[in-house]
Amino acid sequence: MDEFNDNEIAKLLRLKRYEQPPPGYFENFLHEFHRRQRDELLRQPLWRICLDRAQDLMLRLNVRSLASYPAAAAAVLVCAAVISLKIYQQPETTQVALQSSPALSTSTHTEGEWTLASPVAGRIFRMQPLRRFDASTQTHRATTPRYVLDTVPVSYEPTFRF
Amino acid sequence: MDQPRTDEDQELVARTQSGDASAFDQLVIKYTPRLYGLVYNMTANHEDTNDLLQDIFSKAYKAIRGFRGKSTFYTWIHSIAVNMTLNFLKKRGRRFQLSLDDVDASIQNDKEFLEATATSSPVREADLSELQRRLNEAMMKLSDDHRAVVTMFHIQGMPHAEISKILRVSEGTVRSRLFYANRQLQNYLDEFRKNPVS
Repeated sequence: MDEFNDNEIAKLLRLKRYEQPPPGYFENFLHEFHRRQRDELLRQPLWRICLDRAQDLMLRLNVRSLASYPAAAAAVLVCAAVISLKIYQQPETTQVALQSSPALSTSTHTEGEWTLASPVAGRIFRMQPLRRFDASTQTHRATTPRYVLDTVPVSYEPTFRF
Repeated sequence: MDQPRTDEDQELVARTQSGDASAFDQLVIKYTPRLYGLVYNMTANHEDTNDLLQDIFSKAYKAIRGFRGKSTFYTWIHSIAVNMTLNFLKKRGRRFQLSLDDVDASIQNDKEFLEATATSSPVREADLSELQRRLNEAMMKLSDDHRAVVTMFHIQGMPHAEISKILRVSEGTVRSRLFYANRQLQNYLDEFRKNPVS
């Protein structure tokens, strides 16, 4: 008697592909799959469903690929830092400028009190010194320049009064 | 067994990813018979095969949004099936008792089976049903990894390259596992031929 060789074993094993499940199995498989999917969904707690939905969303947006670019993430962080610095610096300078002119703001207040015939007039008086104050901070002029020749300012020193 | 058309699968996958559940149903219908053969010949139990197949398709449905098409759907679904089956077999361990032979009654009337057994002298001399039972026993004596390779190569008719992709091992590993498994099966069946009553 011959021994079993590789071909005979292969032939015997190949026959196993004809083994089939009970009749109707494949027809019912899809219905069973749907039923199990529904049951599984009903058994899941709410947090699990939310987590799955979030994961789906992440996959749809392809967040994983974005996260794989650390340079892009770093650039976004740097931009955010620069923007936030700019935002925080602006109010500080305004505050310093306001604090450096107490005399002017006081005079504005007194001016408004003296001529407050109507609210409209008061508003005009309050606005005017602020404009003048802004101009003075930009040009570093503490007082009105003294013109001597051809409207050219020759000195920013205040005039002496005796 | 021929490999299914990949462009058709790609279209069904794309439709499933965009939310069309009926496209996934078509993939289930298409791949159930093929995966049934794979899982059944690895587990040798119909109930376990049924449960595993349900879990495999359930897992595939959940994961299909992340499927980027780096491999074909055929390879991808087979990888899921093999990995889940191997994990199941590890958990099941040694408590399993063979029950494969209860579905094999119809195969003895199969034309190809009759032709094969008529031309092969050692097979002809042996009792067919007993030989079939012994072959199943021999299969179950193989390690899970070897049985997976034998199932995919001999029963499913997959090429070495495809098996290596599914198992994520080299083709050399596939060939060596196959060679070792064939030797084991051969020894076991020869032993049966020499001592048919044992």
